[in-house]
Amino acid sequence: MIQGRVIGEVWATKKLAHLKNQKLVLVAQRGENGFSGRVIVAMDRLDAKNGDEVVVSFGSGARNVFVPGSRTILVDAAISQIIDRRPVI
Amino acid sequence: MFLGKVLGYVWSTVKWPELQGVRLLLIKPYHYDEITNNGPGPDFDAVVAADVLGAGPGEDVVVAYGHAARVGIEEELPADELPHFPIDAAVVAIVDNFFVEGDETDSN
Repeated sequence: MIQGRVIGEVWATKKLAHLKNQKLVLVAQRGENGFSGRVIVAMDRLDAKNGDEVVVSFGSGARNVFVPGSRTILVDAAISQIIDRRPVI
Repeated sequence: MFLGKVLGYVWSTVKWPELQGVRLLLIKPYHYDEITNNGPGPDFDAVVAADVLGAGPGEDVVVAYGHAARVGIEEELPADELPHFPIDAAVVAIVDNFFVEGDETDSN
């Protein structure tokens, strides 16, 4: 899994059937200081907003975000957690 | 999955028989700087991915790895059967457009 920030969204009409009506967001992966430069496309079921800090799971872990044990959901990255913002005191 | 740009085609005649008829593309992942236009950003290693959607050079695509890629390029695969293509990356979407919010500095 990686931690990153949601920085945008991807729209694609021409895609594999299994990806129909799934929300694809862009996540900038965290590095040692700031962003590492890698950008991940992850599926989002938690309705993460731009600027949210999230955790992205990959592979079967990502598929379990949708349907535990499923092999038919063609996802290899999904947002599994939205990290709480530190409370402003 | 990652967002990348198609650099070109990968042709090969001598290959594993399973790969007959599978189109291969060379794809460069986008760097954070490139998509928030703070400059070219370092070069990531390019990836060879199978493609059944017909993406051409210069197009933006989403590439998935692993099981999602193997099942993705098999049109009809019975539920219980395992995919047989010897690949680990495939184009799963051709991107119409993508939006990236302002490249404000990393605050936290």
